[in-house]
Amino acid sequence: MAIGRTTPGVARVIEGRKSRFLLGALVLAHLVVISRQVEGEGGVSLLQRGLWSVLIPPQRLVASAIHGVEGVWTGYVGLRGARDENRRLQEQVRSLETQLEATKQQIGEAARLREILELRPILPFPTMTAQVIAREGVPWFRNITVDKGLKDGVALNAPVLGVGGVMGRVVEVGSSAAKVQLLLDRDCGVGVRIERTRTTAVVAGQVAFSDSGTSELLMKYVPVLADVVVGDVVVTSGLDQIYPKGLVVGRVRSVGKGSGLFKEVSVQPSANFEKIEEVMVASAPPRPAVLTESVR
Amino acid sequence: MKVFWTVLALFVAFLLQSALTHVVPRQARMVDLFVLVLVYCGLVGGETHAMLAGAAGGWVQDVQFGGGVMGLSGLTKVLVGFGVGLSGSRFQLTEPAARVLVLFAATLLDTLIFERLASAFDVRVQTLSLGGLFTRAALNAALGGVLFFYVDRHLARRRRS
Repeated sequence: MAIGRTTPGVARVIEGRKSRFLLGALVLAHLVVISRQVEGEGGVSLLQRGLWSVLIPPQRLVASAIHGVEGVWTGYVGLRGARDENRRLQEQVRSLETQLEATKQQIGEAARLREILELRPILPFPTMTAQVIAREGVPWFRNITVDKGLKDGVALNAPVLGVGGVMGRVVEVGSSAAKVQLLLDRDCGVGVRIERTRTTAVVAGQVAFSDSGTSELLMKYVPVLADVVVGDVVVTSGLDQIYPKGLVVGRVRSVGKGSGLFKEVSVQPSANFEKIEEVMVASAPPRPAVLTESVR
Repeated sequence: MKVFWTVLALFVAFLLQSALTHVVPRQARMVDLFVLVLVYCGLVGGETHAMLAGAAGGWVQDVQFGGGVMGLSGLTKVLVGFGVGLSGSRFQLTEPAARVLVLFAATLLDTLIFERLASAFDVRVQTLSLGGLFTRAALNAALGGVLFFYVDRHLARRRRS
């Protein structure tokens, strides 16, 4: 009735809307029905395909965003883990390096001490092992300070030996330390003998300048007619009453004509003076003795 | 207070010199840390301060690092200290370059005077070659220049605060 009372123009508009709505509804219904019957590729219905084509892009967007966030999170967490692990491993490496270094030092020390201990029984006088606690810090002298003194039985002029041979003698003694003048010192002198020919001479301190980097000793008072060749072994003669007879001092390095009655002979010391860490100090004045060949 | 800092500086020089002789024995002979202390005292406190610091440092060197005759280094450093102190009071030596020059000259003098004194007192010593002489002086001057720069900067900061 009410419709009947509306004007024909308005009724027509309402009808037109209803119809379009209905058309749309019907088309959709049909599409649903049809699409349910028609399978597309991969068993996906047309409706599904249509719906997917609408819904999947935002889903994909969300998924990719979530994946992105997840990736970032996983990466972050993983990175943190990796960083922690890296730090832990670095600490482990450092610790192992320290242990390795300590072990190397222990091995080196053990080797040095073994050499000293092997030498000690065949020396004809009692000795004690001493640690070097200081070295000369000036270019003019060559000396070391060791950690043994009067209370340990160190006496003035006691010979000091290294693994290679004679190193020097004690020139100052304190209660718990002693200063050792090395063979390299210009003021040092040792009575020596050339082992092969039995020619006696005196070996004094370093020949070259202090900063030359060499450690050759000067062999004095070798007669011009003496038979000396490069490579001859030089041993202590015992005539100086300080060093026992037969200890190796070094080898002849060069023989020159010299001036006057004596030859100019330089000797390469057998002891390594640059790296001294432990030495043997005679604990009592050594008695004159002849060493056997095995000592050398 | 001045005495305290001088003694402390000498003690540190002694410790460092001892450490150097263990680590790099050959190179340690080419550095004289006591000369650095002496020169600084001379430039800052004048000749009296430098001479006393030089004497103390020289004696430490004689006892711990020297040879048979005590006092050679002490005497050498007293002479060098006097020279440095006098120069410091007569000339403007506050610039880094001037100080490096003073350090170079002081080390050179220290070495030459010591060798001459040793020769005069018939003490047989190992001498330095001409190259070694200048290398020693240059090393000391470079090291002292850097040290003086940091010490001055530290003192200036303390004064400001």
